[in-house]
Amino acid sequence: MSMFSMQKGTRKNERRLLLLVLAFGVLLLGNITSAQIYLPKSPPEPSEYGKVILDNYSTAGPGAVVFDHWLHRSKFTCRVCHVDVGFAMEAKATGISASTNRQGFHCGACHDGKKLFEGKPIFAACSDAANDQQCDRCHSLGKKGVRKYEYRKFTAKFPKGIYAVNWEAAEKSGVIKPVDFVEGLSVKKAPMQSREDFALKAGYSWVHPIDFSHEKHSIWNGCELCHPEIFPSAPKGTIHFSMFSNIEGRYCGACHGKVAFPLNNCRGCHGGAPLWAP
Amino acid sequence: MNKKIFIALPLILVFCGSAPSQTGVKKKRPLPYEYGRVIIDNYSDKANLAPVVFEHWIHRSMFTCRVCHVDVGFAMKAGATGITAADNARGYYCGTCHNGKNVVDGKTVFQACSRKVNLEDEKRCVRCHSYGQKVASDFDFFKFSQPLPKERFGNGLDWEKSEELGLIKPASFLEGVSSSKGNAFVVQKDFALNPKVEGMPDIIFSHKKHTVWNGCELCHPDIFMGVKRGTVKYSMVDIS
Amino acid sequence: MFNAKFKATIVTVLLFIGLVGLCSVRAMGGPQSSAAQAEPAKETWQKEFDDVCSKTQDAMTFSQKELTDLIRRCDALQPQIEKLDESRKKVYMGRLRKCRGLYVYVLDAKRNEKK
Repeated sequence: MSMFSMQKGTRKNERRLLLLVLAFGVLLLGNITSAQIYLPKSPPEPSEYGKVILDNYSTAGPGAVVFDHWLHRSKFTCRVCHVDVGFAMEAKATGISASTNRQGFHCGACHDGKKLFEGKPIFAACSDAANDQQCDRCHSLGKKGVRKYEYRKFTAKFPKGIYAVNWEAAEKSGVIKPVDFVEGLSVKKAPMQSREDFALKAGYSWVHPIDFSHEKHSIWNGCELCHPEIFPSAPKGTIHFSMFSNIEGRYCGACHGKVAFPLNNCRGCHGGAPLWAP
Repeated sequence: MNKKIFIALPLILVFCGSAPSQTGVKKKRPLPYEYGRVIIDNYSDKANLAPVVFEHWIHRSMFTCRVCHVDVGFAMKAGATGITAADNARGYYCGTCHNGKNVVDGKTVFQACSRKVNLEDEKRCVRCHSYGQKVASDFDFFKFSQPLPKERFGNGLDWEKSEELGLIKPASFLEGVSSSKGNAFVVQKDFALNPKVEGMPDIIFSHKKHTVWNGCELCHPDIFMGVKRGTVKYSMVDIS
Repeated sequence: MFNAKFKATIVTVLLFIGLVGLCSVRAMGGPQSSAAQAEPAKETWQKEFDDVCSKTQDAMTFSQKELTDLIRRCDALQPQIEKLDESRKKVYMGRLRKCRGLYVYVLDAKRNEKK
């Protein structure tokens, strides 16, 4: 190498070698870290996917709450909980407490001991009544054998996709019938006309464009779940939706990160993905 | 070249992408009784009192927006009114009605911020200066909202329908305070506002509906200053 | 009749009673007229304010001349309101601003219409 003179042992050479190694190290480190940010993480076990741990105040009492999306998802649309009841989609953002539940908000909007589901009253959340306390059904983190429904048994007959349950197919086949209206909670509204499907071009030419269907999304979400908080009104092309922001949990990633279907499922959005992608 | 740059540069590159975000996430929807809650904290902290918590829903059922925001003179932005205990004690702002003498529904309205305060008054002060305190209110939202027709969002109530059905009767005139009876307003006809987004239906704006509760001065020109229709573009971004 | 000492005592006592009386009257705030105990009579500026700003609901029906006249009356009220005590000044300046602002707004709209 011309950089190094014949005498390898000189101080100058040592410094140059050190600089070279450092530069290489920085490039390697940068590559590794950017790969960590760029590629979506592998999703957890299907039974764990969509699991949310609620731990605002629980350490003071019955322990943290474990909320599995799969059970409620099979019975209600996303809109009922995230618009009508008003749950946020970020950790610690809703501010649920035993007192809000008891007042008939948040979980207590349905879990009030009176509302019926399939003919049976739904158990009251954070009930004060001594003979009706089923705390462990929710406050189950670290406890075994306390949950009523088990993932594998419950989803045994549901059609599966490449990762876990294919919820779209499950609804189409009628195996699940998610309810969009809860008496006493929801307000009936005339449906708004859904926009036509459109294509979103990807930033790289070898990536198949996204075929986005408003219709499919609004069946479960309505309009208000996404607009304007997740997707603000802005002229087309001004907001740059990238995989980076999705992986961060913003925009599409608000749902398609931890709950809807994982971002690793490229074909789920990017139609005909290239051969080498999963 | 400084060796520190080799440590700093990759760190900068790594952390560049993780800027805090405002859009793209779903925040919680305020609970029905929380919607319209205003915290007033101009001087309370300095006076060693908890900041004031004002909840719109109870006053909204009794008075039109105009009575407080035009006749009494409250601003519509945080900190803009500059209410002080002295103003209240002299019978202005909150003190206009909360003067210890007015009788509403057979009950005397408690006085806000008197000149002389002793220990017994603490119960009265805490009725408003309640931020962070557990204070039992005279009015319960659940009981209040039960008979009223429901609507999505906000307080979860259809205020318009409630008034139509006579379930609430907001007063639009305060004796000795309001200048005009403010009943019949001569206004423009309803008109359409066309959104830019394709597929979104037009907004049918009704001046008549709005002036029933607000009058003219509440909105014009402070909030809506455009004189010629079409000159000011209202966008969802500005509104939110 | 009485000796000097007794006279002096009487005078002192009378003076003392007078002093006490004076202080107590001042503490009570002076003689209250019956009119003040009832609803205080509206001052002139307040009557003018009520007259000018009670017409906002009909602003759309006024001619440009009438609106200009109302705006002039608002301007005349401003220096009177500025002389008031702190609380009243704050309240009424805000109300006047809104009231005048509306008349100016409607006047502008009418002028624009004609163009």
